[in-house]
Amino acid sequence: MALVVGVNIAVCLNLLTSSQDSFSAAITRFYPIHWWGVLVIFLSGIALLIAYPAKALTNPVFFLKLLALAAALTIARYFQNNLQLAQVDVKKRQLAKKLAASALVLWLITLFAGRFLAYTHSVLLASRYF
Amino acid sequence: MLESLTNFAMNTGILGFMNSAWGWPIIESLHFVGLCLLLGTVGVFDLRMLGVARGASFIDLHKLVPFGVAGFGLNVLTGAMFVVSAPDQYLFNPAFISKLLFMLIAGLNMLCFYALYAREVRSTPPSDQLVSRAKIVAGVSLLAWCLVIVCGRLITYYRPPYHWCVFC
Repeated sequence: MALVVGVNIAVCLNLLTSSQDSFSAAITRFYPIHWWGVLVIFLSGIALLIAYPAKALTNPVFFLKLLALAAALTIARYFQNNLQLAQVDVKKRQLAKKLAASALVLWLITLFAGRFLAYTHSVLLASRYF
Repeated sequence: MLESLTNFAMNTGILGFMNSAWGWPIIESLHFVGLCLLLGTVGVFDLRMLGVARGASFIDLHKLVPFGVAGFGLNVLTGAMFVVSAPDQYLFNPAFISKLLFMLIAGLNMLCFYALYAREVRSTPPSDQLVSRAKIVAGVSLLAWCLVIVCGRLITYYRPPYHWCVFC
């Protein structure tokens, strides 16, 4: 998770702190290693879901985390494909900056929701329903 | 020492906040935000030094390091809040002691980087590889921070008095 969020934070901060013309699209070259991190998150998340399905599926915070994560990863995919163009296109550059700010908020929501999952569940085991 | 830490936590209101309904998870979340800032800047710089994402400029990436320092500051602050709120659960915990050890290694490694290789790395063109000694420093840094994360995660599974520690 730290690798995935870390790479995205680096890309977003690079976009937000660089002057209009000087941001480096080459930073998107970190995305291939980032997608390996996403795979690890996906597999470990599935394992946790199989282990405690009721704990996650009965908690709205879990769905908030999934939504924020999906939206943040969609922005990451957009950056991977479009930042090269944003270097020369002013409109795309402005959109990229807005998306970078949104992505930072979405990653914050993902992190907080993930941590709060451990404290907000009302059901632990599916056996409660049998 | 335990008593003075607990007194400090009580007198400053930290203990009350941490034992409130949302105190502990809020500080845990902020601790993880700091960690991601650190990994997103220092970790990404280490990866670049190791040869990942060739073409990304060392100078551009190094500009993000102050955010990593801010993340580390946030981690120290939130980490201290955990320790003073439950000192016996941390100071006698082998995972926590190992975490501190790996942080020390990462810190000494960073001093080594700035003393020996920083100038050379900054002047290296984005498309070039670094000398292998600088890569070793980057590898040690990345490994040390990963172990800091792993040990941090293990703290909850090695709570005293059920596990061995050097002070017991």
